[in-house]
Amino acid sequence: MDWLLNNAIVQDIIELARPSLFNLYFALASIPIGFPLAVLLAVMKNSSNGIISRVARTYIYAFRGSPLFIQFFMFYSIMLAFNLSHWKPMGIAHIVMHPLFIGPMVLILNTSAYAAEIFYGALKTLPKGEMEAASAFGMNRWQIFKTVTWPNMIRLAWPAYTNEVVFLFHATALVYFTLPVINGQKDLMNKAGEMFERDYNIFLHFSVAGLYFLTISMVIFFVSGRIYKRLMRHMDTGEAASFKLKPNYMR
Amino acid sequence: MLETLSLWFASNFGEQTAGWFDYFTNGKHLAWYASVRFTLLAAFFGALLAVLFGVLGAAARRSGFAPLRWIGLGYTTMVRGIPDVLFFLFFPLAFEQLVEFIMSRRLCSAEELATAVAWPPCQAAQWYLTTSEYLVMACVSLGIVYGAFAANVVHGAMNSVPKGQLEAARAYGFNSRQIFWNFQVRQMWVYALPGLSNVWMLLLKATSFLSLLQIADIVQWADRLGAPNYLARVGMVHPDWRWKYYFVLFLFYILLTVISERVFDWLQRRAGRGLALHGEQ
Repeated sequence: MDWLLNNAIVQDIIELARPSLFNLYFALASIPIGFPLAVLLAVMKNSSNGIISRVARTYIYAFRGSPLFIQFFMFYSIMLAFNLSHWKPMGIAHIVMHPLFIGPMVLILNTSAYAAEIFYGALKTLPKGEMEAASAFGMNRWQIFKTVTWPNMIRLAWPAYTNEVVFLFHATALVYFTLPVINGQKDLMNKAGEMFERDYNIFLHFSVAGLYFLTISMVIFFVSGRIYKRLMRHMDTGEAASFKLKPNYMR
Repeated sequence: MLETLSLWFASNFGEQTAGWFDYFTNGKHLAWYASVRFTLLAAFFGALLAVLFGVLGAAARRSGFAPLRWIGLGYTTMVRGIPDVLFFLFFPLAFEQLVEFIMSRRLCSAEELATAVAWPPCQAAQWYLTTSEYLVMACVSLGIVYGAFAANVVHGAMNSVPKGQLEAARAYGFNSRQIFWNFQVRQMWVYALPGLSNVWMLLLKATSFLSLLQIADIVQWADRLGAPNYLARVGMVHPDWRWKYYFVLFLFYILLTVISERVFDWLQRRAGRGLALHGEQ
């Protein structure tokens, strides 16, 4: 047993286990809010109201057109600027200035724009006939959304959205490059960098950090594939139901 | 020239505006504006290398020789599981260590090599990198990472080349190497263009990582210039303005995206002349 624990790779895996939880936390904290926000933005962008559509369009363009790295710096410094006039008097500075809050906040803003573009693309390819049938049945707009738009949109967008979730998980690596580390709460990249500075063995530490990212990405693909199967269970075992492990390389 | 402009501002908009004009054209700000070149150079040469690695990666993936095919497949799938920033840091640091390792074998004494605890084993083997060397490594790094993305695009585009074209080439007696390079690679660009434009957008955004390799790029300068600025002679010039400087960078990258979109639209129209592509005649 000892030889196993003394193995350099095993030691690295153990040492990087806690940091990996921070990456997971950032992703898991961003998805539940980013997902509904993205759906809302997609519906807004698809709206026939010019102003609403334009607002959503601008938001999506701005956040897809600029690097997340810059967005982190920008929002952190904006929060700092608010700190003196708002957060400090309200007594919530220690919460809102914490990386565990700002990290998910920026990730939500970023991922909702990317995911909204995916959902918008799905909305554009909805089957027209089903919408017309629904309105012929006398359904109101909410009922149409609930019974036709939503289920179709999710099914169409799911493979691409999975891809976006993996990209979001990878983007969590940027959090501690831009935000201060508090109480030794380091994520995978930060810890791997620290270990590299200790013994200069870049091949070992970065590979193990990469292994963590790879494994968790594979788990995301696997879980998402199961969900997709369930979403498509009404279909026969046709082409559409088979989920491709690497559907799309693009963000 | 700047003095003339400054005087012109003073006479037309008052001393206050002229003062700010002077401030935003001082040496540090000019250095910030000039540091845009690192970003643009990295994007340009990174993209060139990415296309090169992309074609090579796709060629490897379609090779008849199995180990080469596995390398191609591994190369194209690695970016799906591992963040780009990890590779971006890994390649330059690994290369630096490799060079230092070779140098240490030649320059350090055997005793130093045996007892060394730090890296490199002796001072003589330390490789001090300059900004331009880091920039070259950043370009190569971007090229490798986004080359993997490009390889996927190119691989897909090669499948889109009409089979009839390749069969016709074969019927004319071209050998398989000629068919691959002169027909398949030559014709796939128009199908690859939308995907490559996507890769370019990703690469452009990744150029914001240059400061991680100790290059004094626009991000690092924005951080320095935005910090609260106190001069003994004039007092407080400005408080913490970092968010304003970062906001400028935010807009700068959006502008680059707008320009790239226009250029790719134009390229797509130009490349697609005379072809019946989906959605466009």
